[in-house]
Amino acid sequence: MTAVATPLPHIAARGLGLMRGDRWLFRGLDLDVPRGTFVAVVGPSGVGKSSFLACLAGLLPPSEGHVELYDRAGRCHAPAAVRGSTGVVFQNNLLVPTSTLLNNVLCGRLGRHPWWRTLIGFPRAERETAYRILCDLGLGTKVNRWVCETSGGEQQRTAIARALLQEPDLYLADEPVSNLDAYLTGRVLGILRQEAAQRGRTVFCVLHNAELVERFAEFVLSFDSAGDGAWKLRKVSHA
Amino acid sequence: MSPPPSPASAPGPASGPAHNPSLPPEPPRLPDPRWYERLNVLNVSLLLFLLACFASAPALRGSGRELDYAGNLKRFLGYFFPPDLSVWPETLRALGETAQIAVMATAFAIVIALPLGVAGARTLSPAWLVGAARMTLNGIRTVPSLIWALIGVAIVGANPLAGVIGLTFYSVGYLGKFFSDAFESVDMEIARGLRAIGAGRIQAFQHGVWPHAKPLVWSYVLWMIEYNLRSAAIIGYVGAGGLGVQLAGYQEYYQWEKFATVLLFILVLVTALDFLGEWIRGRITRKLTRVRS
Repeated sequence: MTAVATPLPHIAARGLGLMRGDRWLFRGLDLDVPRGTFVAVVGPSGVGKSSFLACLAGLLPPSEGHVELYDRAGRCHAPAAVRGSTGVVFQNNLLVPTSTLLNNVLCGRLGRHPWWRTLIGFPRAERETAYRILCDLGLGTKVNRWVCETSGGEQQRTAIARALLQEPDLYLADEPVSNLDAYLTGRVLGILRQEAAQRGRTVFCVLHNAELVERFAEFVLSFDSAGDGAWKLRKVSHA
Repeated sequence: MSPPPSPASAPGPASGPAHNPSLPPEPPRLPDPRWYERLNVLNVSLLLFLLACFASAPALRGSGRELDYAGNLKRFLGYFFPPDLSVWPETLRALGETAQIAVMATAFAIVIALPLGVAGARTLSPAWLVGAARMTLNGIRTVPSLIWALIGVAIVGANPLAGVIGLTFYSVGYLGKFFSDAFESVDMEIARGLRAIGAGRIQAFQHGVWPHAKPLVWSYVLWMIEYNLRSAAIIGYVGAGGLGVQLAGYQEYYQWEKFATVLLFILVLVTALDFLGEWIRGRITRKLTRVRS
């Protein structure tokens, strides 16, 4: 089943399936997602939402099927081959606790520089951009604090800032607003939506709030917990 | 041979014949641990230590001659007082030289121990490299600092450089081990996360492992500087420069009051460093505690 019909997909999943133990988390997943689409991934805890994102990121080999990523020139790549252009917001943020917010954000640009360049620091322009993004997310006064000295919400925004600085083709955000208040949730999802609509960057975002899904997503990919690998994709009709 | 009693037939309050079903069952009694359950690593090693103490009692025999131990101690310590402070200029100069030896040796040791520490960390290196690095470090650690200093004297002659060489080797053995432990204590999930967003292996270490290990590494370095200052004061006994040369000279000519002055200087230096190191390590530990919580 082809879920999203498109002439030029950005991400294509072909018969994607993942087993955990003797249970299928998802199976027979076929997707053609056009560039610049915001897809909300929903479902109860433990159904395989994070595992699905890990498959898209090339961090977890699927049990069956495969994922193809197409660049702007139409060339096909395996997910693991284009990690530099995949921005991941991990569920547990995966920030370096003994490094500053600014340095953590700058890590989003590591894939663009050789190791010896980042050994002597990041270019001035990138430091300025990182600072601007942190200011946008309300962290301008805390850029030089260690991550371990900040709150959970601030750490989550730092992880989002790292992905934004990366300017990836594909965002994979695993519950990126779980620690944020209503205002910041709207702000972060608005930025991601803008990234998709205006810059043609595809977003897969795990969300639990139905209202947010309806407000920001264009498609909803839902998994259920029956254990037979069932999934469903639907288009969101914005009023 | 009769079969072992099954749990159901074992005597107990719930299964005993006198149990009245109308009464609530008695709570189970706490069983005493069996003798072999007490044999944990702590208890066994404690037992071994006590046995070793008994076996080592002959070391307390001494020479076997009738000696006035307390009198000897009193007389010997009496030689130290009052300390002859007139030697302070050359003591201060030797103290400076001792500090220079310690600092240079620690600096060189850091440079050599860092790659060895990475090689010896199980989370960063393949098993064969870990084994080779750890064996090298163990080998270095088995040689005392005084012997390393002797080797240094044999290479470059009796001067402070010999002390630097000797203490460098000695420190590499310890710092390499400490650095390995520090790197292994880092949560590798963060480095893997950076790899997932495009960082190379070296970059993942540089930004995902090093910042996390750095406070611990620095704490070990501070400890090593303190340790090397103490060691640098002794290695002069074999001609490797610093306060030890002075100590050896004063001892040879029984100038114990001058000897006492040198000891006084060492005491002041080591105490000051101890306080400073403790303060810095305390601050680092407080930050790390926040990281872990």
